[in-house]
Amino acid sequence: MTAIATNPPRDRRSPLERAYARLGVLLIAPTIIVFSLVIVYPLLAAIYLSVFSIYTPTLQGDFVGAANYIELLTGGAFWHSLGVTLIWTVGTLSLQIIAGIGLALLLHQNIWFRSLARSLVLFPYFLSTVVAVLVWRWLFNDLYGALNHGLIQLGILDMPLDWLGSMPNAMIGVILVGAWKYFPFVVIAVLARLQTIPENLYEAARIDGAGPVGRFFDITLPQLRSVLVVIILLRAIWDFKEFDLLYLLTGGGPVTSTQTLSLLVYQEAFGLNQMGQAAAYSVGMMLVMLAFMVLYIRRTGGK
Amino acid sequence: MTTNKWKSAGLPRRTVLGGMAAAGAAAFMPRRIHAQEQITLRWWSPQSSPEQLAAYETQIANFEALHENVSVVFERTSDEGYAPQLAAAFASGDVPNVVTHLPSFAVSNYWRNDLVEPFNDVIEMIGPDKFYEGVNRIYEIDDGQYAGTSIGNSAANVIWLRTDLMEQAGIDKNPRTWDELLSACQAMQGGGIYGAPLPYGRNSMTSLVFIGVIHQAGGMVFSPDLDVAIDSQETRDALEFYRAMREYCPPGATNYSWGESLTAFVSGATATGLYTGRVLTNVAAQNPSIADHITCDYYPTISEEVEPWTFNDFPSVFIPKDAQNMEATKQFAAFLFDPEGYIQQLHAAPGHVLPVLKTIAEDPAYLDNEIIEKYREEVDLMSEAAANGYNLGWESPEHQPNTRAGEVVNSGVIAEMVQRVVLNDENVDEVLGETASRIEEIMAG
Repeated sequence: MTAIATNPPRDRRSPLERAYARLGVLLIAPTIIVFSLVIVYPLLAAIYLSVFSIYTPTLQGDFVGAANYIELLTGGAFWHSLGVTLIWTVGTLSLQIIAGIGLALLLHQNIWFRSLARSLVLFPYFLSTVVAVLVWRWLFNDLYGALNHGLIQLGILDMPLDWLGSMPNAMIGVILVGAWKYFPFVVIAVLARLQTIPENLYEAARIDGAGPVGRFFDITLPQLRSVLVVIILLRAIWDFKEFDLLYLLTGGGPVTSTQTLSLLVYQEAFGLNQMGQAAAYSVGMMLVMLAFMVLYIRRTGGK
Repeated sequence: MTTNKWKSAGLPRRTVLGGMAAAGAAAFMPRRIHAQEQITLRWWSPQSSPEQLAAYETQIANFEALHENVSVVFERTSDEGYAPQLAAAFASGDVPNVVTHLPSFAVSNYWRNDLVEPFNDVIEMIGPDKFYEGVNRIYEIDDGQYAGTSIGNSAANVIWLRTDLMEQAGIDKNPRTWDELLSACQAMQGGGIYGAPLPYGRNSMTSLVFIGVIHQAGGMVFSPDLDVAIDSQETRDALEFYRAMREYCPPGATNYSWGESLTAFVSGATATGLYTGRVLTNVAAQNPSIADHITCDYYPTISEEVEPWTFNDFPSVFIPKDAQNMEATKQFAAFLFDPEGYIQQLHAAPGHVLPVLKTIAEDPAYLDNEIIEKYREEVDLMSEAAANGYNLGWESPEHQPNTRAGEVVNSGVIAEMVQRVVLNDENVDEVLGETASRIEEIMAG
C-alpha cells in the first residue's frame, strides 16, 4: 500500500476576495456589536435575573434556581394574564385589520378631500399615547364624559355607563381605544399596496362578470396577503407587549381583568420590588410570543 | 533645557518651585475647591400643582442666592409613579438629592434597605425644638436614627360635606356613624348629585382609604407585632359598609383615584367628599358657588364607641444615600423649612399640607391667608386630625414601624380585595383568606 501525499487545503480565494471578506466582517461588526448590546445582553440579563430573588431598588438578592419559574407555572397569575393578553391582542388586532382595510379601500377611491382624509386618518397614530388616553378617559368619564352624555341624550342610556371600571366594559373599552390608536398603521400599509395592484386585473374580472365583493375576495385580498402577513406579525408583537395604553386606561383593573403580561411584569418589578420574578415572567412572555410567531410564520411562510 | 526655557521666560527657579508648592497645597484642599465648583442638586416631588411649583421656585431662588455655586433642579414624579422611578434611580445609582412628599412608609422601606442617608444632621439644622411633638417619631425606625422628617402633615380622609344640601335634606348635624352617613347620602342623592365619591379603583387610593375604613370599623391590617390581622370581623364590617356606599357613588367610581374623587366633590357632583384640604383651594378656584357651603369633619366610624382614624401619609423629606454633594444637599433639605419659602409652599394649597413646625403654625405670616382665615375651623380640625393621624407604616402608637407597608400598598392587594368583594361579589371569607396569605407573602419578602 502506498500513501498518496495530499497537499494541505489551500485558500483558493484571490487576495482581492480575501480583502473583500475582511471588509465584510469589518462592515458587519458594528451591527453585530449593537445587536449584542441591545438584544443579546438584555436577553441574557433577563434570563440571569430570573433565577434570583432580587429586590429591585438595590438589584441584590439570592440565587433561587427554578423557583421563579415554578411560581410562574403553578401560581396562576401568569396564566390569567396570558389569557387577558390574548383576548386583548386578538380583539384589538382584529378590529385594527378590519377598520384599516375598510378605510384603506375607502381612501383608495376617488372621493372628495381624499388627500385631507388620508392625512387626518393618521392622526391617532401620531398622537402621544398619554394624550390619547387622557382624551379617552375624559370621553368615558361617568359624570362629564361626552360618550355617556350623548347616549343619555339619545335615550339609549338612562344612567351613565361605567366604561372602564367594570367588566366586560373595561375590556371592550381598551380594545376599542387600542384599535382606534393603531389602525392607521394598517391603513398606511394597505393603501400603499392597493396602489400597486394592476388595474387590468380588475378590468378582466369585470369582463368576467365579477361584482365588487367578488373582486375584493378574488383580487384585492390575495394581492394584499403578503402585506397583511407582515402587518399582522408586527402588530401582533406590538399589541402583545402593549403597556402604556392599558396601564393608563385601567391600570389592569377591575381587579386583574385587564392586567396583561406587561402589566404583571411591571407590577411584580416595581409594585412588589421582585425583579427576579418579573424577569421570569418576561422570559415566559417572550417564549409564548416566540412560539406564536414560529407557528404563524410556518403557516404563512410557504404561501 | 527646561530650566533654560524658564529662564528665558523670565521665571526664576525659586518662583517656579514656589508655584509648584502652591499648586500642590491647593491639591490637598479639595473642600475649598469643591466649594468653588458649580454643582446641581436634583429635587423630586409628586406634589406639583402650579401654585406649589411657584413656591418651589421661590425656595430654589432663595437658596441659590445664598449659594452662588449651587443650582437646584425640580423634577416631578407622581403618587402612582414614584416607586418605579425611584427603584430605577436607586438601581442605577443616579439618584436625586432630595425627595419630598412621599408617604412615610415608602421612606421606611428604603431605609430598611440601606438606601437612605440618616436625617439627624438636617433635623439639627432645622431645630428639633421647632417640630411638633411626635412628628419625627414615625421616621425613627432605628433608635436614634431618623430616615427623614415630615415636610408637612395631611389629613387625607376627612369627610367633606355640602351644608346647603344637608339643609335641604333636613340633616341637622354632621354624620358621626356609618349609619348616619348612609342615611345622609341617601337623603342628599338625586337631581344629578351622588352621595359620595369613594374610590373603588385598582389603585393606591382605594387601598389607603380602605385601610382607614378597617380602622373605622375598629380593626387593623396588622397586629402591633406586625402579624397579619386583616382577616377579621371588623374587615368584614368595613367591606359591608363599602358595599353599601357603592349605590351612592358615581358609576365611574370603580376607576376613581385621588384626582377623580377630588373633582367629583369640587365640581358639585357629589354631596360628600373625602380628601385633604386641597378641596378648599380647588373650590375657591374652580367652583366658588359652593365655597360658602362646605365644611369638613372626621370620617364617620362604625359606631360612636370607635374613635375616628385619620390617614396621614406624613409627607416626607429624605435624602438618598448615594446623593452627590451631600453637604449642600443637607443644607438644601434644611432650607426647605426656611419660613419664607415654607409658608409659601403651605399657602400653595392651604390645609392640604399642614405645618409640622410650631413656629410656622403660630407665625402671623402663615395665618395671613384668605383661605385659612375663611376656613379656620376646618383647618384647625384637619391639623388636629393629622397630628393624631396614622398610616399603614404605623397603624397605632402600639405598633412597630412597618417597613413593608409601601409594598403592601403598591401591590394593590387591598384594592383588589375591595374590588373582588364589592364589585365582583365574591365570597368574603375566601377573598379575605387569600388576601391575608398574599400580605403574609409580601411581609416574608
